[in-house]
Amino acid sequence: MGKKKSAALVVGAGISGIRAALDLAETGCGVTLIERSGHTGGILSQLDYQFPSNHCGMCKMLPVVDRDAGSQFCLRKGVVHENIEILLATELISLEGEAGNFTATLSQNPGPVDPGRCIGCGRCVEVCPVEKPDQFNAGLSLQKAIYLPVPHAIPNTYMIDLSVCTQCNECGKICPTGAISLLEEKRKDFRILVVDDELIVRDSIKLWLADEGFSVDMADSGPKALELLSKGAYHLMLLDIKMPGMDGIKVLKKARKDFPELCVILMTAYATIETAVEAMKIGALDYLVKPFEPEAMIPRVIKLYQELELKNQLKIEVGAVILCGGTSYFDPGSGKNTFGYGINPNVLTSLEFERLLSGTGPQQDLNSSSNQRYFIRPSDGKPIKKVAWLQCVGSRNLQTEADFCSSVCCMHAIKEALLAKEKFCAPTGEEIEAAIFYSDMRTFGKSFQQYKDQAETDHGVRFERGLVHSLFPDKLSKDIITRWVDIQGKSHEETFDLAILSVGQRPALKTAELSKMLGISVNKWGFCETEPHSLTKTNKPGIFIGGSFGGLKDIADSNISAGAAALEASRTIHISDKGPTIIPKKLPLTRNILRELPRIQVVICTCSETFVKADDLSDIIEHLESYPEVEKVAVLDRVCTSLGLDELIEITDKNQPNRILIGACMPCVYSWKPREIGHKLRLDPALIEVIDIYSRVMDLPDNSAHETRIIMENSLKMGIARLRRIDPDPVKGVKIRQKALIVGGGIAGVTAALAIADHGFQVDLVEQKEKLGGNLNWLLRTVEGFATRPLLDEIMAKVVKHPCIITHNSSRIVSSHGQVGNFTSIIEDMDAGVQTIKHGVTILATGGTEAPVTSYNYGSSKYIITQKELEQKLAGNSSDDAVDPNRMETIIMIQCVGSREKPRNYCSRICCQASLKHALLLKDNNPAINIFIFYRDIMTYGFAEQYYTRARKAGIVFIPYDIDNKPQVKVCDDGVSVFAFEPIVGRQVKITADLLVLAGGIIPTLGQELASIFGISLDENQFFKEAESKFRPLDSIKEGVFGCGLSLGPRSIPESIASAKAAAQRALRILSHEEMPSGKITAKIHQSLCVLCEKCITACPYGARLLDHDLGKILINPIMCQGCGTCATVCPSSASFLAGYQDQQMFDIIDAAMEGIFN
Amino acid sequence: MEDFEPIIIAFVCNWCTYTAADLAGTSRLKYPANVRLIRVMCTGMVDPKYIIKTLLEGADAVLISGCHPGDCHYINGNYKARRRIKLLHALLPQFGFERERVKLTWIGASDGIEFAETIAEMVKEIKMLGPVKTKLKMVI
Repeated sequence: MGKKKSAALVVGAGISGIRAALDLAETGCGVTLIERSGHTGGILSQLDYQFPSNHCGMCKMLPVVDRDAGSQFCLRKGVVHENIEILLATELISLEGEAGNFTATLSQNPGPVDPGRCIGCGRCVEVCPVEKPDQFNAGLSLQKAIYLPVPHAIPNTYMIDLSVCTQCNECGKICPTGAISLLEEKRKDFRILVVDDELIVRDSIKLWLADEGFSVDMADSGPKALELLSKGAYHLMLLDIKMPGMDGIKVLKKARKDFPELCVILMTAYATIETAVEAMKIGALDYLVKPFEPEAMIPRVIKLYQELELKNQLKIEVGAVILCGGTSYFDPGSGKNTFGYGINPNVLTSLEFERLLSGTGPQQDLNSSSNQRYFIRPSDGKPIKKVAWLQCVGSRNLQTEADFCSSVCCMHAIKEALLAKEKFCAPTGEEIEAAIFYSDMRTFGKSFQQYKDQAETDHGVRFERGLVHSLFPDKLSKDIITRWVDIQGKSHEETFDLAILSVGQRPALKTAELSKMLGISVNKWGFCETEPHSLTKTNKPGIFIGGSFGGLKDIADSNISAGAAALEASRTIHISDKGPTIIPKKLPLTRNILRELPRIQVVICTCSETFVKADDLSDIIEHLESYPEVEKVAVLDRVCTSLGLDELIEITDKNQPNRILIGACMPCVYSWKPREIGHKLRLDPALIEVIDIYSRVMDLPDNSAHETRIIMENSLKMGIARLRRIDPDPVKGVKIRQKALIVGGGIAGVTAALAIADHGFQVDLVEQKEKLGGNLNWLLRTVEGFATRPLLDEIMAKVVKHPCIITHNSSRIVSSHGQVGNFTSIIEDMDAGVQTIKHGVTILATGGTEAPVTSYNYGSSKYIITQKELEQKLAGNSSDDAVDPNRMETIIMIQCVGSREKPRNYCSRICCQASLKHALLLKDNNPAINIFIFYRDIMTYGFAEQYYTRARKAGIVFIPYDIDNKPQVKVCDDGVSVFAFEPIVGRQVKITADLLVLAGGIIPTLGQELASIFGISLDENQFFKEAESKFRPLDSIKEGVFGCGLSLGPRSIPESIASAKAAAQRALRILSHEEMPSGKITAKIHQSLCVLCEKCITACPYGARLLDHDLGKILINPIMCQGCGTCATVCPSSASFLAGYQDQQMFDIIDAAMEGIFN
Repeated sequence: MEDFEPIIIAFVCNWCTYTAADLAGTSRLKYPANVRLIRVMCTGMVDPKYIIKTLLEGADAVLISGCHPGDCHYINGNYKARRRIKLLHALLPQFGFERERVKLTWIGASDGIEFAETIAEMVKEIKMLGPVKTKLKMVI
């Protein structure tokens, strides 16, 4: 039981866990990231494609500054960062202490395959006789009892499903590295002490246990037992209660005191059961009633043994804990199962369908021509032509106790429909038909509405508003007959090849246990509950929630809430008594080798001679040593182990090479940490290369020594070619001005300012109005009923007196220039005049406002107002026209005024909640009031759904309208009349009301002018354009400029606050360092060859280059450059080049690749 | 012609296709051994001169493969590659190479099967096409 120190503990390595861990690690915090399963990536490892791009994009989450601290490969393979320790198959079992000073106990269960030895060769799978459903493919295909948890992770350790394993040990026999030890072999190390005064009992128990392979000792009395215990370590004691002299209870008490880790099982006669039960209170684990058969005892001992042997406890000290446990999914086969899931094989869940679409899924191609694929029904192989999606299965359903919306299923279904259409076609060549049955199409996120419109108009996805009540299989074809009722109450019947259930969310596995153990509250559906106005804070200080653990979120929102949780954790650690556990970033001290000729140390790892015998390498070694720059080739057994590493360091210390090439297996390539080695050898990590020489020879037959040699030699030669001419210029750094500029003093701006200032960095907060607070100055409460005033007052009190925050009210930004780490901005302050501010990062929190309303006769009558006006009138501030619910008879609200249609084709996300908030408030004050809400789709995503349910129960009437048939408004003397088509009664209706309230939506105030000042782009709706909508939702393409709050897109108060905190955390990644190093693969320039054509400046996607007119040179910002090499390719004079991939290097690599093929 | 085994050099991007190739490796997918992978950071950095050089050095075909359009790790490198290869296709006959010898594909990180299939298919195509007939030789 080791004790370790780490700054933060992140529980769950799904996408939000990864985000939180990376965000903390990048600021220099040590992070322990634990995950119950055997791989990182969570649910996203099963989802290959994300809307709206219909691609992956996960790698964009990787660090963009100081890239080499993390991995530079596909994130699906795994997370690597020098400040993150990842513990797989690990759970949090207890947490003691308080915020800033927790001790967490972790339980590790690594299983019978040793991750340190498994090289992923897969020979075990070939010999394993047991097959089971493949979990990764949602049970749609089969896999062996020894399996890879996900196909793409590297290093990817095989796992054994012990529930189906027959312990035949075929895998253990064939494993070339001896990585598999089924527990039976280790049983002899498990020592059991049998204590009984009767010889026959002792003897028979010893015999039974010895047969199972355990080591057994015996004692005939209490004192003898204690004597044996004091001599040697035992794992388990089987103890008789009734013994002459010292009885079992006394022995137990003494043993518990002296040997607290010992497990004790009591053996008792029937008469002393009560004593045995009492004894369990003082620490006995279990009891057996004598006489017992071996069948009664052996399984208990084995179970105990496996639990003890496999689990390994670990205590770590952490300052804060972030829970990123994700969610689990509703099982449609449970309960009434009206859709026949599990009975009819052609009814699948959305996750199962996703797997069918995947390149790693169970679907193998029928016709190999890759652009003409059709896909088949898993049940009977029938080609699929027509698919139906059923929304809200297990969501928004009171019968399944799910009065919430699962938030992502609508977009998920559209994406699946589009992917099915895009990737496959029916055998006749026609497009696949897709229909989505829904009740409200919740396209509430940024760009979601356009995505849905495109799916409908450009790709022909059918959207049917209605309720599917039953699915029947056709007797012969087993196709699905779908019966549904449309919005007018008409019944329909249609046949589909497949029906996909868009299953809703449920709390993650073991949420109840975990929350009880931690003492955090859960809501009525069992999801972790957060504090008012927060998406991340739990009721326990120091414990935060990231991502879907507190209710389902899409990727972007998960990333934002995880970032916010990271910020809260970082703040907790920072202000705790102990102070921050920041790992200082130092540029590595390296040996100067600029003037040395290349001397390459080649190391070949034989990987325990799995694929090649060390003796067979002599040819290769001889050949490689003929290269002038190769000094000597060393052969090591297992370079990935600490022993191998020491050997490597010893060799290189002796030879002092200036480049190192290591040929090893694929897992070694990815788990390798060149920075560590480089540090030890004082060699720039860029000069150490690890290459995979084995994956192409693994499958060669045993007699192909010649081919093996050629392939391995070739790979090594390519490595040498790359290293030979590598640029030995050491890594450069950029000095960071550790100060932030925040534009906009609404709730997002002040939250971000406070977050950064609490870390001790100076913040300039610029607000164009006289007063901070933004929209919170007029907003009164949220739909949940929380008042906003105390929130604003509390945060303002902190901001005003914070020594690190300088506020500039009534000020505007005049200009800004510079790059990440070094910006210079000029502001015009009404009081202080023009000021120049130098800062390292910029956060834009410019906010938004209610969109101007021009339709529905707005402005022509005092009886037509907007939701914002209603909020103000309800406050009764301006008494002359205050709204008094008790003097009203009928109120009509119209949703989506100007929203979700051109030119503002986006959902404003909060108007439905705002209207519900007001409607419920009016109804609460005057239950007799009639309220009619005209809507297109009610967007009460997540737990806001309960207010929609409440509103309907309260008698508020919701009438859907079509975009082509909007309600008509006529102004009367004492009110308004609305004419609209009512689909349920099926005719035009006229409603007269005292007040018409229009939900006008949100527009941003950012503006093109400010965007150009900071060099960022806007999206088509004038919101802040993020670097990547899912994975970098707060960054702009220009590094160092971040957005938050309404400037990003419409969002609620808690969401704005979360985005502000997450943006602050993104900024802190940079601010926390005095100097940031560049990546090893970075563009450089031969100034003497450069003709200043500026082609590279246009080509650079990151704006990392600029022409310095004074120097007459192109300058590259080494931390903004991401090393894509585009600049080198466009350069007409070969002046621009990518370090690590220079032309001559590439030519050498090509030569090496060509050499020796098939001769 | 029967025993002609073409040599294919594949420039694969670090993010998507290289991952797919790894996946093909770990998934034990069999694909012809005729291909040598050269990992580059992005298809956008594959200079046409590398492709021409590879062909002049004696390769029978070149594959360039990266992330799907819209999915480039470096935002738009693959679009640049697409334009560049289109232009190169127009030039190839002047060097005496058939256009089919240079192929650009998009293979995502999870498409190990597609990677193996693409290689197999390309080998088949180039076998049909036969060895390079140009008389040009690399001089630099």
